[in-house]
Amino acid sequence: MSPMPDLSTVASVQTLFESRQYIADRALALTVKLAGELQKPILLEGEAGVGKTEVAKVLASVLDTPLIRLQCYEGLDANNALYEWNYARQILHIRIAEHDAAARAKLETSIFDDQFLLNRPLLAAIRHPGPRPAVLLIDEIDRADEEFEAFLLEVLSDYQVTVPEIGTFKAALPPYVILTSNRTRELNDALKRRCLYLWVDFPTADKEREIIRQRLPALDDALAHTVANLMQTLRRIDFYKRPGIAETLDWSRALLGLEVKNITPELLLETAGVILKHRDDIERLRASDLDAVLAGETPTTGSSRQVY
Amino acid sequence: MDTSAAGDRVSQPVARTLAFFARLRTAGLPVAPARTLDALRALQFVDVFDEDDYRLALRLNVAASPDQERLFDQVFAEHFRGAPDTRRYPGGIRGETMQGRLGHHYKELDQQLTVDPAHFSQGEFERDTDLADRWDPSAAPLERIIRELARRLATRPSRRQRSDRRGSAVDLRRSIRRNTRHGLELVELARSERRTRRTRLVMLCDVSGSMDTFNPFLLRLMLGLQQLMRSSRTLVFSTHVTEITSALRARSVQATLREVAAQVRHWSGGTDIGGALGNLNRGVIREGSASSTIAVIVSDGYDNGAADRIACEMAQLRRRVRKIVWINPMYGASTFQVRAAGMRAAMPCIDHFLPAFDARSLQLLVRELRDV
Repeated sequence: MSPMPDLSTVASVQTLFESRQYIADRALALTVKLAGELQKPILLEGEAGVGKTEVAKVLASVLDTPLIRLQCYEGLDANNALYEWNYARQILHIRIAEHDAAARAKLETSIFDDQFLLNRPLLAAIRHPGPRPAVLLIDEIDRADEEFEAFLLEVLSDYQVTVPEIGTFKAALPPYVILTSNRTRELNDALKRRCLYLWVDFPTADKEREIIRQRLPALDDALAHTVANLMQTLRRIDFYKRPGIAETLDWSRALLGLEVKNITPELLLETAGVILKHRDDIERLRASDLDAVLAGETPTTGSSRQVY
Repeated sequence: MDTSAAGDRVSQPVARTLAFFARLRTAGLPVAPARTLDALRALQFVDVFDEDDYRLALRLNVAASPDQERLFDQVFAEHFRGAPDTRRYPGGIRGETMQGRLGHHYKELDQQLTVDPAHFSQGEFERDTDLADRWDPSAAPLERIIRELARRLATRPSRRQRSDRRGSAVDLRRSIRRNTRHGLELVELARSERRTRRTRLVMLCDVSGSMDTFNPFLLRLMLGLQQLMRSSRTLVFSTHVTEITSALRARSVQATLREVAAQVRHWSGGTDIGGALGNLNRGVIREGSASSTIAVIVSDGYDNGAADRIACEMAQLRRRVRKIVWINPMYGASTFQVRAAGMRAAMPCIDHFLPAFDARSLQLLVRELRDV
């Protein structure tokens, strides 16, 4: 295995991330650096589509370790997040042991053996053998219940989990933990306190252009420039869902596929579904002065809004 | 950067940082001791000579929301670079008058509800004697009704199961696990019951001038619901929108009123319902929350904004939440008609349009809400 990548300086983090086509600004690079040194989880908040989840993927790729992902949802509980016993296999084991006196005597100890334990994401991350720490992504934590947050707090505070039948597992290598939240609700203060907090904003035009250039080198430079500027303008419009970087890249790919040379109002409307995902938003764009939008002017609020 | 400040910071980084944190606290950003330690620990790993590194290392540990990040950066600039102070500190003159006003409303409410217990015994609901007997002037009189309201709003069976000894269904998985010790003969059965689905409440309250008379009631309602339904969120609006969820969680009523007064600077202002709804649609309520969220709007519907904006935002909101409940205090008046253009525009999207302006009408409202 190649030597451990250097995450101890801001510059080296930025270089490593850039080699994975991810443009990390100074704040993010410093956060990753400190997360490793202080062994603290990172909490990334921001609108959907600004590349929060991507940070974890890129970090896992940089470290060349598995990305262990826990997608949160309402009703997520410890069973699904931590571990579960494989009942079906246990029963099978018991049935087989019934016909063998020696096995039957050992049944009580053998039935709660590691082989019957199903590692769910949190336990999997803690038991990751190394040689490098795993990356644990806890995605959209704001979707989970508040009880789950409290539970998570317990696991993240000392990186250990107790399975009553077996014993306590303590992480040999505390994983890199990245939590993301779309901020649909305020998270527990205690959980935030445990983390390094960073608000991830939409990128600046320059940064966005650089992202397009990195991800889609085939796209014409002038066109990338136009796309980046247009996205800035669109984000200033009062849409229900402002387009994120994911939409920028999807649209750029579409332009590439369509072999577009320059962007016209007609083209913008025809491909609006790639950028805007709400019918009302598309209607809103249709009602705007598209020439002005393409020229970088923000249409005024209110006047173009219609009753649908 | 001011060189003397820089020199100072390097010679005594800890003291310098602590002084800065003290300033952050006065500016309204709470820095707990534990966070202070975390921040100082983080400083070991960065170049404190580098202003950006220094600032970010502290901020990552101290700030916990985009607003706090912004406040942090601002105070940092002022503290180390002497940038002019453009912020309005909470608790200023305006804040104090505000608090006085809210405190006054609260007193008024207590009087209104303590002076006239007969108000409750007009046969409008059956427990009048009960209530009169147990009447405690110092207790919050709306509490019980609000508790019932919260229960009505929040009980809804989920498809998920939880274990329950007297549950109606047999939990096969857990039964088998429990009976492994009996050699898999099913001796004891584990049972389960359907879970109760958590309902999230998002309350949007009108605090414009036309609602002033109802403020005592409104405050009680907001406080009660927020405290009983911890996961709910409360926003107030006039021409601006402010979320006061965290303020309502303060420990005492006095502290809450102080907090709310400090945060809401547009109390008794004009009305922009459309703008407030738009804010709700873009911020607090997102996709995915539809099935579990109930929006409660408390407003008289008098609006100086455009009616079509209201209609449009209401339609959008309708698609994002399970139910829209509109509580209109004016509805109780005998002369009431849905005349306000804003109110008319909103009507088609409202699931429950109900009057409420005091404890009695709230009790009626709770009955009405049986099937929300």
